[in-house]
Amino acid sequence: MKPLLASRIGTFLFAVAFAATSAVSARPQTKTSASPAAKPAPAAMDPAQAKSLGSKSAPITIEVFEDFQCPACRNFYETTLKQLIDDYVVPGKVYLIHRDFPLDIHPYSHQAARLANAAAELGQFETVERALFDSQDQWSGNGKIEEAIASSVPAAQMKKIRDYETAHMNDINAAIESDRTMGVRRNVSQTPSIYVTSHGKTEALPGGGVDYKLLRNYLDYLLRQ
Amino acid sequence: MATSAVVTGSQAQPRAWPRMLLVLGRVVLGVIFLYASYAKLHFNGAWHLRDYYFFFGMAINSYNLLPFWAVDLLSRYMPWFELALGFFLVIGIGLRWSGLIASALLAVFIAAMTRAYILGLEIVCGCFGNNEKLGPWTLVRDSSMLVLALAVTIGAFLIKKRGAAISS
Repeated sequence: MKPLLASRIGTFLFAVAFAATSAVSARPQTKTSASPAAKPAPAAMDPAQAKSLGSKSAPITIEVFEDFQCPACRNFYETTLKQLIDDYVVPGKVYLIHRDFPLDIHPYSHQAARLANAAAELGQFETVERALFDSQDQWSGNGKIEEAIASSVPAAQMKKIRDYETAHMNDINAAIESDRTMGVRRNVSQTPSIYVTSHGKTEALPGGGVDYKLLRNYLDYLLRQ
Repeated sequence: MATSAVVTGSQAQPRAWPRMLLVLGRVVLGVIFLYASYAKLHFNGAWHLRDYYFFFGMAINSYNLLPFWAVDLLSRYMPWFELALGFFLVIGIGLRWSGLIASALLAVFIAAMTRAYILGLEIVCGCFGNNEKLGPWTLVRDSSMLVLALAVTIGAFLIKKRGAAISS
């Protein structure tokens, strides 16, 4: 009986020791993930969402592949997008998504895209996009973007954007590259390239920009469907 | 056209090749126009019989040449006009006139495209579908189509003239 008892006690002690060891080794993991003291990773906003305007539940989604240094993109922004934002995005009829497609022929378009992406993450995309296009003539020759948009973006805000850009350079580059890859997959060959999604169907509009009046007719047609 | 085969003997031989070339030329030209029409009605992987004119209108308008009403008119009817023209060319009905219209149409297209290219407009050609960028290649291609259309037209007029001379 004694050896049997000893063996049972041994087994019991072994089991307790094993359980205790397992619990100890498991605890730090549980504690780490649940610990309020642990610094959470910065919740990065979905880049597409950060660079979008309007309500996600709008009946029409428009994606525009743009290059901030491209004159046709500027023209499209000034003559079509601004009106589109007022007439369709603000009333909740269109969800507008900016996609980066910086072209290699433009030396400062990557730099402008990085700045716009950093601004987007800080909720300043619309302001910076407008400033970039409005002052394109000034910075596209010398690359002094911050100087050119200084009148639209206050210095303190610009500092925050610049700091964010420096701290998250890899994420920003990845977001731009992700947009570009998407564009290549969709055979984007020029900017601006516009895609309209409605009733579950995505249509590519003729590249190079669209007159507002014609786009409005098409959007009204889609909304009537 | 088919009646020419009735001509017999040594006289028929020299006329056979030009006629065959003319048939080939008009069929090729006709198919090109049929395809141009098809590409304006079927794109982005689906037929757009109810909304094709929005897309084609955007392409025409990007040339900055025409007033809005003309853009609207052309975008609605041009694909069907090209379809009819292509059909006439392939079948060979009224070849002189269909060839002439095709030549005139292509000449106007090329003039507009050349102007846009010189002005540096970064637009779509609008020739075959709505996503073909205007560039040197599209200009060369459409110019060779114009050469073909002119050859068909001149050939059709010459054959008609010779046929009239023989019958008289």
